[in-house]
Amino acid sequence: MTSKTSSSRKGGAGRSATTDPSDAIPLRYGDDPYVWACWLYYEDGMTQGEIADAMGVSRATVNSYLADAREKGIVNISLEPARLASLTIAQELKRHFGLSDCLVVPSDDNARPLIDRLGVAGAMALQKLVKSGDTLAVSWGRTVMSVGEHAEAQALQDMTVVQATGGTTAAFSYTPELCAASIARAIGARCVGITAPAIVKSGALRQMLLDEPLLLEQFATLSQANRILFGISSLRPNSTIHTSGFFDTVSLQDYLAAGAVGVVAGRFIDERGRPVSGPLDDRTVGISLDVLRRIGTRIAVAGGFDKVPALLAALRGGYVNVLITDAATGHGILRADGVTGLDARMSQRPKLAQTPSSYRTHVKKFLNNPNEVVEEMLDGVVRAHRDYIEPINGSHRALVAKSGPRPGKVGLVIGGGTGHEPCFLGYVGKGLADAVAVGNIFSSPPPDPIVQCAVAASGGEGVLFVYGNYAGDVMNFEMAAEIAEEKGIKVRTVLTTDDIASSPIEDREGRRGVAGNFFIFKIAGAACDQGLSLDACEAVTRKANLRTYTVGVALEPCAMPQTRRHNFEIGPDDMEIGMGIHGEPGVTRERIKPADDITDAIMDNIFKEMKATSGDRVAVLINSFGATPLMELYILYRRVAQRLAAKNIEIEANWIGHYCTSLDMVGASISILHLDQELTGLLHHPCETAFLRIN
Amino acid sequence: MQTFSNANSGAIVLSLAERIIENRAYLSEIDGKIGDGDHGVNMAKGFGMAADRLKHRETTLSEALDTLGTVLMTEIGGSMGPLYGVMFTEFAEKLDGVPAIDAATYSTMLHAGLEGIQSIGSAKVGDKTLIDTLVPAVEAFDGATADGKPFEEALDALVAAAEAGRDSTIDLVAKIGRASRLGERSLGVLDAGATSCAIILKELSLGARARLA
Repeated sequence: MTSKTSSSRKGGAGRSATTDPSDAIPLRYGDDPYVWACWLYYEDGMTQGEIADAMGVSRATVNSYLADAREKGIVNISLEPARLASLTIAQELKRHFGLSDCLVVPSDDNARPLIDRLGVAGAMALQKLVKSGDTLAVSWGRTVMSVGEHAEAQALQDMTVVQATGGTTAAFSYTPELCAASIARAIGARCVGITAPAIVKSGALRQMLLDEPLLLEQFATLSQANRILFGISSLRPNSTIHTSGFFDTVSLQDYLAAGAVGVVAGRFIDERGRPVSGPLDDRTVGISLDVLRRIGTRIAVAGGFDKVPALLAALRGGYVNVLITDAATGHGILRADGVTGLDARMSQRPKLAQTPSSYRTHVKKFLNNPNEVVEEMLDGVVRAHRDYIEPINGSHRALVAKSGPRPGKVGLVIGGGTGHEPCFLGYVGKGLADAVAVGNIFSSPPPDPIVQCAVAASGGEGVLFVYGNYAGDVMNFEMAAEIAEEKGIKVRTVLTTDDIASSPIEDREGRRGVAGNFFIFKIAGAACDQGLSLDACEAVTRKANLRTYTVGVALEPCAMPQTRRHNFEIGPDDMEIGMGIHGEPGVTRERIKPADDITDAIMDNIFKEMKATSGDRVAVLINSFGATPLMELYILYRRVAQRLAAKNIEIEANWIGHYCTSLDMVGASISILHLDQELTGLLHHPCETAFLRIN
Repeated sequence: MQTFSNANSGAIVLSLAERIIENRAYLSEIDGKIGDGDHGVNMAKGFGMAADRLKHRETTLSEALDTLGTVLMTEIGGSMGPLYGVMFTEFAEKLDGVPAIDAATYSTMLHAGLEGIQSIGSAKVGDKTLIDTLVPAVEAFDGATADGKPFEEALDALVAAAEAGRDSTIDLVAKIGRASRLGERSLGVLDAGATSCAIILKELSLGARARLA
């Protein structure tokens, strides 16, 4: 006796076998009944019964075709990545903190302010959670007010909304009174206030007030609350809590000194969520933390990266069992609490789509001896660019500009690994770098050639080292700087850190240097050529570095000449965001998107950091990682120009092509240099190098 | 007390180079998962160059280590050049002029190498670097000696701890170097530097052990 599925499958095969089965399948589906079934189901929207009729098989067979098609990877059900990320984060927050529910709004939707989006989400949560007959306590704050503004009238009965704290000055628009009233109006509830100030002058006065019959009655209502809605305040210096007038500054300092990180319904908590005692405790009129924690449904609505420590504290303290936040904040909370592995889950790799790295394992390259690629390349370089560069003491690993160094001029030394051509040697010549130290593939040069460069570049006024921020380069260049100083050459160093995807803004100095090197070298070279002092050259180079923003995206990995194999794999439908220039994997992996969407994502990131205003000027570099053709670079440039034009930012100059590559990697980076008058002048200063000539 | 002779022990460095060259593809492969895939290539190049200079010569261990350290330091670049370069030149300096190397000298050598590395790099145990191999190995060696174990057994303890240290990097998140930009994506992969360090310590210690008298 065969199983039901296989017998029905047999039956189906039998039936279609009355004609020739290959006739039964329309030609466009090939010989594959799975594809046919999937097409009818997912594209034509037919029911399984209709498909069974159309295919001449049983309904059970159709069902198993559809199930198998998912197993085989013919059909991939995918969620839009931003939504998937927020779902993943919500699920993890719920699990990790034992919440009864959690709603996370996607972070990448910048169309509306975060406060609005949290308000909409909070309103949605209220609609689901609040039932007729409830007493809902409401705290105060901008986010809570936003929930009130977005909440809609529901057909609920016998609702009570009660203020969770006393009142405050009406100097701001989200007072406890206004918040409670707004929510009460939205859900058709009667509103009970707390008709006393949230903070009174003394403990004695508070006690007297609480003995008043009216306040007794109001607190009795508060004690009956079965749900509470509240925001969470951060105590970071820029938090609104400092300006709201709710607390006086002097008292706040006491709580901060005692370790407070956040405020829940007017009460201070430390990083573990424990109450922090201080001078305001017995002067505060409002719900206590103990009472709050005994309420059944405790809905916190809060978002924004500065609130991560406060939110985490509130979650640890058990004050929250329904959390409404945004994806970036949620992710930050989980990371801060040591949850790992989230990123992998958010990357949405199809389970079976780990394609074997295609049928071919080796990449074709023009090679003689793979171990001699760097030497052979440098031999070619020195022959090709003899007008601009020459070996120092016969070594191809240290090259000096033919008419660069001169007495009285600060020398500019650049360098790094190979595999990035025309970086770095293409930028050596008059008006730009004076000397370049050349390492192995993706590997810093050792100290010796760097020292030779420093000596060759020195004109008695000191030497500036400018190179990308990588551990190996830093070690070797620092050793070289020490040796050069021993030889009496004054050395200053500027590390390039333009890759804004490699580390958050708080860790700006930890970022790596990528294609934006091009701009930074140009500015440094011009400053040196104009005869500025070492101090001035260093200062303007630092400025150029701070005003250069790069994000790269890789579509395919690169292959080292010695292995001729991909260093890692990027899935067939994926791209790697935040790609560096060494073939190392990027920061996140996402599904590939149209060019404009990719450009927009990059430009949004750059705009977030670059404080450019209408009328400002920039220089743009669209750089290929090696294998991406100009055709695609122009498509990227088109969108970059559109985005800049929309902000009325002028493109002073642009460069499109191979400027800082990563062997044969497919991908590109976008760099923007935010100009000012000084940088504009230096950008246009003449230079004569193999890959950049400005007259 | 067990010792081994400094003279004619330069061959240990040759077998060290052989092991590194043998593992060239393997080291590059694990490096490629979270780094740029050149660790094996660069290490093999540097150790190969040193081996060429040492071949067909009878040298002391300290001379051979000095040659290796100098080649790595001056010719290789990257981050491994300076780090291993410092380690081997420090090793060489502490063995220089010592005819019979005992456990105490060996320990002094290990500590000098570790301190040399720490003077130019900032990695700590747990950062997913070669330090995760080196520190426990040195501690295990000292621990065994302090317990009164003979040199031989202390070397075995060193090798075992180095390998355990290497394996510990699988579960670590990289904090230093290029892999650190990957954050949690560096989990589940051995660190290439920790792996090459385990190879080096093992070969060096096996060479010493075989020569004990």
